[in-house]
Amino acid sequence: MSVEATPAAPITATGTHPRNHDGQAIAITVFSTIKLPGRVFLPVLFAVTRRFPKLTATLRQLSFIHFARWCLIGRLPYNGPPQKKGRFRYPHMYFESNFNGGWEEYIDAFSHILTNGMTAFWGTSYGFPKPLPTAPFKKYIQANETEADHYYSAYPEATSTMIQRALELDAKLAPLKRDASRMSPEEFRSAYRAFITDAQNAL
Amino acid sequence: MAAPAVRMDLGDIQGDILRAYGNSFDCTSYAFVRMECEPAQARAWFHGLIGHVTTAAPWERKPRTTLNVALTASGLKALGVAGETIASFSHEFRQGMAARAELLGDVGPSAPSAWERGLGTGDAHVLLTINAQTTGDHRRALDKMEAAMQDAGGVRIVFQQDAELLEGAREHFGFADGFAQPAIAGATEEKAAGGGVLERSGRWRPLAAGEFILGHPDEDANVDRRRRLPPSGDGVLGRNATYMVWRKLHQDVALWRRTIAAAAERYPYGDARKLAAKVVGRWQDGTPLETNPHGPDPQFDPAAPGANDFRYRDDLDGRRCPLGAHVRRSNPRDALGHASKLSFRHRMIRRGMPYGPPLPEGEMQDDGAERGLVFVSFQSSIFRQFEGVQTPWINDGNIFGLGADKDFLLGDPAGSGKMTIQGEKPFFLAPQAPFVVTRGGEYLFVPGISGLEALAHAVA
Amino acid sequence: MADPNVSGQARAFMAMTPVKPGEEKPLAEYLRGLRSRGPSPLAKLPRTHMGRFVIVPDFHNDPTWNQRHEEHLDLNYLIFTSNLDGDIDSYLDELCDKLAPEAKEIWGRCVGCPDSASGHALKTYLKHNQIKSGIFFSAYGQATVAKVKESLRRREQVIAFAIRAQGMGPEELQQAFVAEFGSTG
Repeated sequence: MSVEATPAAPITATGTHPRNHDGQAIAITVFSTIKLPGRVFLPVLFAVTRRFPKLTATLRQLSFIHFARWCLIGRLPYNGPPQKKGRFRYPHMYFESNFNGGWEEYIDAFSHILTNGMTAFWGTSYGFPKPLPTAPFKKYIQANETEADHYYSAYPEATSTMIQRALELDAKLAPLKRDASRMSPEEFRSAYRAFITDAQNAL
Repeated sequence: MAAPAVRMDLGDIQGDILRAYGNSFDCTSYAFVRMECEPAQARAWFHGLIGHVTTAAPWERKPRTTLNVALTASGLKALGVAGETIASFSHEFRQGMAARAELLGDVGPSAPSAWERGLGTGDAHVLLTINAQTTGDHRRALDKMEAAMQDAGGVRIVFQQDAELLEGAREHFGFADGFAQPAIAGATEEKAAGGGVLERSGRWRPLAAGEFILGHPDEDANVDRRRRLPPSGDGVLGRNATYMVWRKLHQDVALWRRTIAAAAERYPYGDARKLAAKVVGRWQDGTPLETNPHGPDPQFDPAAPGANDFRYRDDLDGRRCPLGAHVRRSNPRDALGHASKLSFRHRMIRRGMPYGPPLPEGEMQDDGAERGLVFVSFQSSIFRQFEGVQTPWINDGNIFGLGADKDFLLGDPAGSGKMTIQGEKPFFLAPQAPFVVTRGGEYLFVPGISGLEALAHAVA
Repeated sequence: MADPNVSGQARAFMAMTPVKPGEEKPLAEYLRGLRSRGPSPLAKLPRTHMGRFVIVPDFHNDPTWNQRHEEHLDLNYLIFTSNLDGDIDSYLDELCDKLAPEAKEIWGRCVGCPDSASGHALKTYLKHNQIKSGIFFSAYGQATVAKVKESLRRREQVIAFAIRAQGMGPEELQQAFVAEFGSTG
């Protein structure tokens, strides 16, 4: 690979184009061109991952992704001329993620922690440099990324972690709300203390 | 993985990077200089500095004064460095600290529009850092520096900050500061336990020198030796150099004391000292809360090699050291899981120095004096290391599960955010006005000695 | 086997439609200008968690990547994706109804889009151009947009209460709690 003096400069503080942002939410949109063996391998990988969700468990634990998807595209639906009909020469993989945190941070976590998963998902892509070291991997992603023209989040102020903690908190609060006025003040105080102690890592 | 053996050319690296001069000298001055003249004239003055610059080569005898030189992006331009060479430096350095204010949390009272004159405007070109053994030595060094500027013509100081160590190497809030530093291969390997990279095996190893000194293999190079290094200036400029962050941070000591004292009245698990330790993550003498949650260790020696040998894996709920404590945010070690894989690329060498007189012990009202900390850090990537700590870890709590809470010790200029002190029963510190306000700062580049020569001879 | 477009009750929708030659720039300008003209049109679809419009001009071909043949898109393509609550059919009904004015500006610039760019015809067009997911991940697919927003509000409320409640006696605490959160008991 040719080595240039400077990598593509990060455009915003978080390292991505402002159009990829809505508040805390950041969009990443990546197409990869897949080598022919990937046409067989990726559908199998997708099926296995859906059935044994080890990768998605790590994604959930890393907790900075709201939604992500991978699609394998061999041909596009035909809509009449001037669109050309037919299959692509190579399959193409579409990847999108809705995440929070800096772009750099996100790629670091992908490279260092999801090393094997990345190799599995992108190993059959042309130009994929291995997840580590991080710099060529970042360059690969940047080369294949397309900026969003419009991006929307229904709750731009929130991060994925915040939402997951808020949902947990809400579930813990429900029984206390239900029983609050039935308890004696002393009973309520100890129930409240138990709630706040239990919920402290969501606060 | 073993860090590669490093042989550093200490005679080509500026001296204040790998060694903390502030601790060995009584007086420190930071002079920001503007070169309002033709590049050739500026280079002539600049050339005159080089012979006085202190290198990292071991001393036979401690010098009476030291001089170190760093440049802003506008300084490179004023010296006549070609545009395409300047373009090879990192994006954030070329933008400068003021342009990054929002990301750094420098808003409201900390915004660049409120900064002290001469900082953050492009006026500051060169930073001269002077350390001196005595006030006499200090005065003589400053006089000499000013005389050289007079002779050069068009070269003048636009901002000067003097700083000096407080008793016991404390910062103004009363905490021991500056002793927890990264362990660097070939330089400070003895600090590996607690200061290096935590491997999955539980062993610590020192960080690659290239994380701090440009032109040396960094942590990515440990994985692939052929990888290019961080953007650092072409050719000789990229060797034995580093990037520097300089910030003047005002501390409102009286507000800090009053806030902690008032909250401590309702804190069920201890006194104001303990509550303050919970906010910081260390007792005042530097003893980590993680190892000594109930009180400082009288035997604690911050200089001992194992002084920082601790991790957070047994305290993931923050009962000993709160999840949002200042030191835990600044260097989360293994608190984010996956050993130190999510934190080890975000370390910096810190060389902070207090300025201004201490507020007398027990005084709860502000005396109007300017005091605070000159924050200095050295790193190969300002974006990844300094900003990578400041933005997601200090100015946000999300990654620690703390929502939008910021570091309580520094505070939120908007007065929002709280701190949860995890415990048997959690305790909450209510939002407050910021204890710390940014008065100004710059991103700088610190060339090696041959880099300085190249700049002075316009061959960079 | 699990439907790859579903995670919990959340679903993934994606349509990739060819942009009419000559319409690339006006379409980009329209989409990029949406922010400055007020709330996102996707806000009119309250079941949308997150969505995006991306115009892809071409595939990336790097000569050093040992790809035997270059591959190019014949036209620019517009990608619309949404991460949504409930089923896709009724979501698209809602979209074709509420987004009628915008749809004309957006898909109206795409090859094969029905002239009306609304109602059932638009829905048929979008479904014809749907790209199915291989894997769809959501971190909290069990929670609807409404539930997420409500929980976020409640978290702020609990934090404010917890700070305020420090040091309250039992009776005061209970009264304040019931006043703040009500009691369904």
